[in-house]
Amino acid sequence: MRITSFMIFNQLTRSLQRNMEDFAKLNSQLASGKRIEKPSDDVIGMMRSLDYRLSINNTEQYKRNIEEANFHLQFTDKVLGSVSDSLLKLKELLSMGGNDQTDENRSFYSNQAAEWRDFLLELSNTKLRDRYIFSGYKTDQVAFSYNSSTCHYDYNGDLGKIQIPFDTGATLPSNIQGSEAFSLTLKGPLPTELPDGTPLNYTQTTDSSTGVTTITVEIGNAGDPDYDTFSVSNLMDVTNVLSYAWQYKDIDGSDLHSDAAIREEMAAHRLMALSIPLDDAGNQVLQVQAEIGTRQVHLNDQKTRLDNTALNLKNALSKTEDADMEETTTEILKTDTALQALRESASRLISQSLLDFLK
Amino acid sequence: LSLFGLFDIAKSAIFASQTALTVTSQNIANVNTPGFTRREALFAVAAPVALSGNLLGNGVTITGIKRYYDQFIQTQLLGQYENYGRSSALNQTLSQIEQIFNEAKNIGLAVPLTDFFNAWQELATNPEGFVQRSDLLQKANSLVLAAKQMERGITDNLESVSDSIDNIAERVNAIASEIAAINGKIVQVEAGSQVQNANDLRDQRDVLMNELATLVDFSSYEDENGSMTIMAGMRNLVSGETSNSLSTRTNEEGDKDLYLDGINITGNIKKGQLGGLISVRDTIRTNSLNGLRRLIASLIQEINALHRSGYGLDGTTDNDFFAPLQLSTRDFSSGADMTATITDSSQLTLDEYSIQFDASGNYFVYNKQNGTLVTSGAYVSGSPISFDGIEISITGTVTSTDKFTVSPLTDVMRNFQVAISDQQKIAAASSNAALPGDNSNALRIVQLYQNSIANLGGATLSSYYGGLVSTIGSMSRAASDSLTFDDNLLSELNTKRESLSGVSLDEEAANLIRFQRSYQAGAKMIQITDELLQTLLDL
Repeated sequence: MRITSFMIFNQLTRSLQRNMEDFAKLNSQLASGKRIEKPSDDVIGMMRSLDYRLSINNTEQYKRNIEEANFHLQFTDKVLGSVSDSLLKLKELLSMGGNDQTDENRSFYSNQAAEWRDFLLELSNTKLRDRYIFSGYKTDQVAFSYNSSTCHYDYNGDLGKIQIPFDTGATLPSNIQGSEAFSLTLKGPLPTELPDGTPLNYTQTTDSSTGVTTITVEIGNAGDPDYDTFSVSNLMDVTNVLSYAWQYKDIDGSDLHSDAAIREEMAAHRLMALSIPLDDAGNQVLQVQAEIGTRQVHLNDQKTRLDNTALNLKNALSKTEDADMEETTTEILKTDTALQALRESASRLISQSLLDFLK
Repeated sequence: LSLFGLFDIAKSAIFASQTALTVTSQNIANVNTPGFTRREALFAVAAPVALSGNLLGNGVTITGIKRYYDQFIQTQLLGQYENYGRSSALNQTLSQIEQIFNEAKNIGLAVPLTDFFNAWQELATNPEGFVQRSDLLQKANSLVLAAKQMERGITDNLESVSDSIDNIAERVNAIASEIAAINGKIVQVEAGSQVQNANDLRDQRDVLMNELATLVDFSSYEDENGSMTIMAGMRNLVSGETSNSLSTRTNEEGDKDLYLDGINITGNIKKGQLGGLISVRDTIRTNSLNGLRRLIASLIQEINALHRSGYGLDGTTDNDFFAPLQLSTRDFSSGADMTATITDSSQLTLDEYSIQFDASGNYFVYNKQNGTLVTSGAYVSGSPISFDGIEISITGTVTSTDKFTVSPLTDVMRNFQVAISDQQKIAAASSNAALPGDNSNALRIVQLYQNSIANLGGATLSSYYGGLVSTIGSMSRAASDSLTFDDNLLSELNTKRESLSGVSLDEEAANLIRFQRSYQAGAKMIQITDELLQTLLDL
């Protein structure tokens, strides 16, 4: 082939250009640490890394959700711990003061019970970040409030479970409804008479829209002078009845009976009849706490899994899009050597001409 | 034969050497001139004279100046310039579009889109939180902004494609008129001559044709007078000494069409930069632009449907989260106008439709994406036509040549905005009674991110977007690969051409010495002849 000056020059500039391009590309990879700097560098790798990044992003969000849910559950658990303690104290009170007859002592027990009642009400209306935690969906309303016309405590919330997404398509409630924690349902075989032989009957009805169970207690036979009936639908109600019973009074403040002896007997019956619901309430709170524990274990397991997943994804992402530094550096050295050799040969080729030798 | 015959031979030798030296000098002078083809003076023995039965030499003559030129290589070169022009236009435009979707540097929609859905998750964990609500609105606005910026990036590029087409058309016209002028000169110079000796003009014309080939594909032939006829898009661009002007007109889509000699030749232009630009703008429009619009339209459609079913903190329902989709219509009719409204946004396919009429008063609604007939029937003047959640009504008289189009995509980005300004109206709850803690509607919207969406061909939002990125990535990759390939091929062909037509300085230096020596020898012959004459005169 006939070689002309232009061909040599052209070949040279193209080779130099190509080398410089390689050089620039490798340098830019080294500077950014990324092998893929635009989709066309590696379309499949790019799609993979986009996938990884979205998955990592999702995972991080789920982890934030789990933290939030855990925080709620932990807080709820603390509150329920206090409820549990209060119930124990109440039981103590009941076993100590069940048969005490002195007015002074009874008034002390009554006051104590009233304090526990108010404390329980306070607990039921706990707020976390401006939300009432036991009101279901109705987080802007106090869970329980005293109804002065019925003299009962009413549940204002609903059955709403605030579901928190913690994985693709998986959710778990972060709240405990007031009707679950503070309302009580009696379980198992119920006694039909008090220890002294007085007939006893518990009737339970559950409101399906709120989940609140109302327990109607009947003591004695209808028509008897000491026949007594009352209803409770939550822990505050129970404590309230106790508090008044120590003063021989009904919850509306009226005397249980005009006759002092009957009044005392009725009050004693009430205290006895309430010891079973109080026991069950304690168990129920423990069960709810266990439920919270289960959810927390579940969430923590999930969090560990997500941590692992995120780590795997990050490794995969790094493998896909990061430049191998050693390899890139070696490549740069190779390109540099090639460039130097090219310059050397170029300087010889270009500088030589027949004209130099014609004298 | 007299002694003076020797003078003649010597003189012819000197003249021939001088001519050869001129040609060599010209070669050396033009060693760097693009498109220059090297020349060589052709020597031949001058016609001998008969003397006493013998033929005696009569010196040397220059029969011509040869141009080292291969038409075959030149034709190949033209074709390759056309390919190269196309590839470079494709590569340049697609690599710019690719930057709009450069997820490798987190440029694009993936981050704002996930942020938006993550904000819904945050809201789901705190349905009544004002911080979460205002954060969601902010993320939604960022998403809107990012999508609009991407669309503007694409439309800006399409506009610059249109500008480039205008500029290139102007350059084509300038080249065409130059070639026409050179045609005239070549015909003039070569008139009556048997050899093609208008070498410099031919070189010039080749250079111009090479440049023209990078701009537009054409076919050409040279007639017996040396005049080059050039046809682009099957119409004459240059014919003899006249050239037609390539002009551009904006078409229905807002793109530039090419007209030559009053005829639309856009569809016939396949190569050169013009061919590349025409093909790339269609690719960008159908793939990137419409894809992006369809993605956003689906997002609006799906989010709004869920959001309307939910309740805000203030108890209101039926609120759109994003401004609802709007139809854009175009009519190609002189006597009738059309309006279109969305009657049921859940039935929208997000495809474009065209409505046509036949002579017997029937209407036909076609889906422009897949060409299928959606509905047809007898058209009752003034009564609306309904299909796929769209209702159109036409005022005025329609004729069989009338055509209307309806598109839910064209104006998507222009109307894309967050419709909610009061964060209370963000509907996280599914029921009015469960306010404010109910997060079930927010959860449904969170779930939307994982759902496959029928209007996106069953893809999820993020996988559809991933498809857009990979499409533009592959196209850009293909364009840059073919540019490299075409560039190498072009360089190879240029090397081939150079090998034949290029000037080698070493060769010319050798020639210089050669002709210098022959010139010196010729001079010496004159000296010797003179001495011989002197001898004769001295007798």
